[in-house]
Amino acid sequence: MLFPTVEFAIFFPIVLALSWALMPRQQLWKPFIVVASYVFYAAADPRFCFLLAAITLVSQGAAVAIQRTEDERLRKWFTAGGVAFDLGALAVFKYYGFFVSDVSDALDSIGLGMPLPLVTIALPVGVSFFSFQAVTYVVDVKRRQTEPASLLDAAVYLSFFPHLVAGPIVRASEFLPQLREPRDPNRVAVGAGLSLVALGLIKKVMIADYLGRTLVDPVFAVPQSYGAPDAILAAYGYAAQIFCDFSGYTDMAIGLALLMGFVFPQNFNSPYRATGFRDFWRRWHMTLSRFLRDYLYIPLGGNRKGRIRTYLNLMLTMALGGLWHGAAWNFVAWGAYQGTGLSAEHAIKGRLGRIFPGWLRWFVTFNLIVVGWILFRSTSIAALGDYMSALVRSGPATLYSVPVVGAILLVIGLQLLPERPMEGIELRLGRLQPLLLGAALALVVVVVGATVPSQGVPPFIYFRF
Amino acid sequence: MSGRRESDAINRLMPEGLETIAEMEAESRPGREGEPHGDDSLMERFDRWGLRRYSAWDGVKAVALAVLLLLLFAGGAVRKAADELKPGLGRDIVKAVGSPSGWVADQLPLAGARRDLTSWLSPNQELTGRGFAAGGVSPGRTASVLPPVPAAPQPLDRLLVTGDSLSTPLDIEIARKLADRGSGVEVTRDPHLATGISNAGLVDWSRLSTTQAADDHPDAVVMFIGANEGYSMPGPGGAQVSCCGPQWEAIFRSRVSQMMGNYLGGGAQRVYWLTVPTQRDPARKPIADDVNRAIEEAASAYGPAVRVVDLRPTFTPGDTYRDSISISGNQTIVRQSDGIHLNQTGASVAADLVLAALDRDFTY
Repeated sequence: MLFPTVEFAIFFPIVLALSWALMPRQQLWKPFIVVASYVFYAAADPRFCFLLAAITLVSQGAAVAIQRTEDERLRKWFTAGGVAFDLGALAVFKYYGFFVSDVSDALDSIGLGMPLPLVTIALPVGVSFFSFQAVTYVVDVKRRQTEPASLLDAAVYLSFFPHLVAGPIVRASEFLPQLREPRDPNRVAVGAGLSLVALGLIKKVMIADYLGRTLVDPVFAVPQSYGAPDAILAAYGYAAQIFCDFSGYTDMAIGLALLMGFVFPQNFNSPYRATGFRDFWRRWHMTLSRFLRDYLYIPLGGNRKGRIRTYLNLMLTMALGGLWHGAAWNFVAWGAYQGTGLSAEHAIKGRLGRIFPGWLRWFVTFNLIVVGWILFRSTSIAALGDYMSALVRSGPATLYSVPVVGAILLVIGLQLLPERPMEGIELRLGRLQPLLLGAALALVVVVVGATVPSQGVPPFIYFRF
Repeated sequence: MSGRRESDAINRLMPEGLETIAEMEAESRPGREGEPHGDDSLMERFDRWGLRRYSAWDGVKAVALAVLLLLLFAGGAVRKAADELKPGLGRDIVKAVGSPSGWVADQLPLAGARRDLTSWLSPNQELTGRGFAAGGVSPGRTASVLPPVPAAPQPLDRLLVTGDSLSTPLDIEIARKLADRGSGVEVTRDPHLATGISNAGLVDWSRLSTTQAADDHPDAVVMFIGANEGYSMPGPGGAQVSCCGPQWEAIFRSRVSQMMGNYLGGGAQRVYWLTVPTQRDPARKPIADDVNRAIEEAASAYGPAVRVVDLRPTFTPGDTYRDSISISGNQTIVRQSDGIHLNQTGASVAADLVLAALDRDFTY
């Protein structure tokens, strides 16, 4: 079930009302919210509920087993088992086809071709997100940063529908404490929740989908047909599109959770005002970057094992982070590109500030990030080559229009404004009377709905991941 | 010292009172064993911002008001949304809400006012032409009243690739291959996801095909549709005819024929209609069989003006579903994991078949 759909508009008000009605009776609320979340998930494909349940059961089993023993060797084994199951599920469902077809091609190329079982496996929506959350649960228990929850709490944590299919990746230590007591029904950030839902809808449908339909998709589909002016605009357009698409989803997820009394971590913080790659990853998909840092980069040794090893760790972390986005080489290349940027920045750290003014560092960083998005968006290495050729080919500017250029400038420009005015707007919206905001939300939905083409609302980009 | 200066410089870019580099670095410190994570403090940002709090029931009432207003102003949209859904419990629930809310919205002037106020925002083209004939069998245009098909290959300037979700990424592959050949063919890609010829409640493909021909002026049309068929259609006398069987197939054939006639009558010289390869789910086979038979029979009435590009021998020889086929001696996956659509490699193979058919009739 997608957020901006009629099905969800029917589902959510019912669940919201029942959730608050049952909230004081936690023994009823918890089973209710698990069932509601599984219904939400089953709308995509009921079979995948078994996978979610299996990951919940195994992670819970591992967490309890880890806590029950003080033997460090056993704790490591239980952790490894739990993590292996969670990541194994991800590997099978997400990477099997990619791995088998590439291995098959490689074997064929050296004359060792063998019949590997080439089958397509349906990708369960959200598996990349809830499998990572399950990993944080098991590892945090191992690290004694959180206590094992009851099976019901673990099920609520992993299946809670606002974050189930595309994050943010909420750590166990952030969510489980919110389950210890019923949420306070007199302290709900209703204004912020409704504002975020409305803002997310506008970002997704009115900006991201519009830019995708009118600019990005045509150029990236057939870059051979376009010259440099259009290819350059489409690259900036994609930077704006992917930000609005993903942060729009996150805004809705955080807003819906707030209405239900829960707080999710921040996932975006004006990423295009970053003045370096490290700064960018503190602002872009923050819950993924901290996952990669805490559960991959630091366990690999981080920066504690010398300069060369630091660079290797950065490259490996980011390449795997790239692969997490999709089973294709362009995502690996994008991750490696980010790793190279982080390594280069690490190598010259401290000197940048002396040599270059802040605005120049911002300008260079932003454009390097946009180049990275071309890698990310290209569907193959050949398509990437076509796009790069288009970037240097002369040609007319056919896709420039006031709404398109205006939308790109708006998305990027707003991130460059001092944050205090934006915060002020959010605060003012958050203080409005809820009924007024409810009416405003209906108005936003009507206006946003009018901009939906007959082809419908495309899925969120990050649903593929 | 230099690191300090860098941090200071960056902090000057940041607004006063918000996160500083030092705070961010503190947040990025991994939690020590037994301590919570350093950046769990981000969870308190709504308190830090001092956002006003209301009661949960204020929130419930606000959401309920939004839903009520939407039902009054756009109740018909709920009814329409039900038509887009696949048959099942979800569709039944949406329909149960959509039918009464649609009726209420029809009785009030609010939906009309909404349409008047927001229609300028719509990116949709205004559909023209005649819709599918209620009662099922409509003669449409026939080959006899259409201009004769040129015997010699004609220049191809404009190509329309359309259909439901099956038509993409086929449309992209055709456009890429034509561009790679250095042709100047202008390819219009116009997929209409989730639509079906048998589901005119969502999009009436008769009107859509007329509009496409009038707006895009294609020399040739490539049509790939059939992933969302199987809906009941009104038959002679108005009674609903459910899939599948000779009667459903006859109605479907007349609709396909009407669309072919709309494209040819609208100026297209040729139509290339792709058959639907066998799908993984055996329950879908009777639908695909009826659809494919209807396509072939409808096309035969138009002679060389409509060519059927049969994908079945390539993708599902023997009418047996398979994920992979042999390409250049290597077994390669050509279907998406849903067992319905072609993946990019499969679309590339299908595009080659379409281009081979185009090569017979056009120069570019």
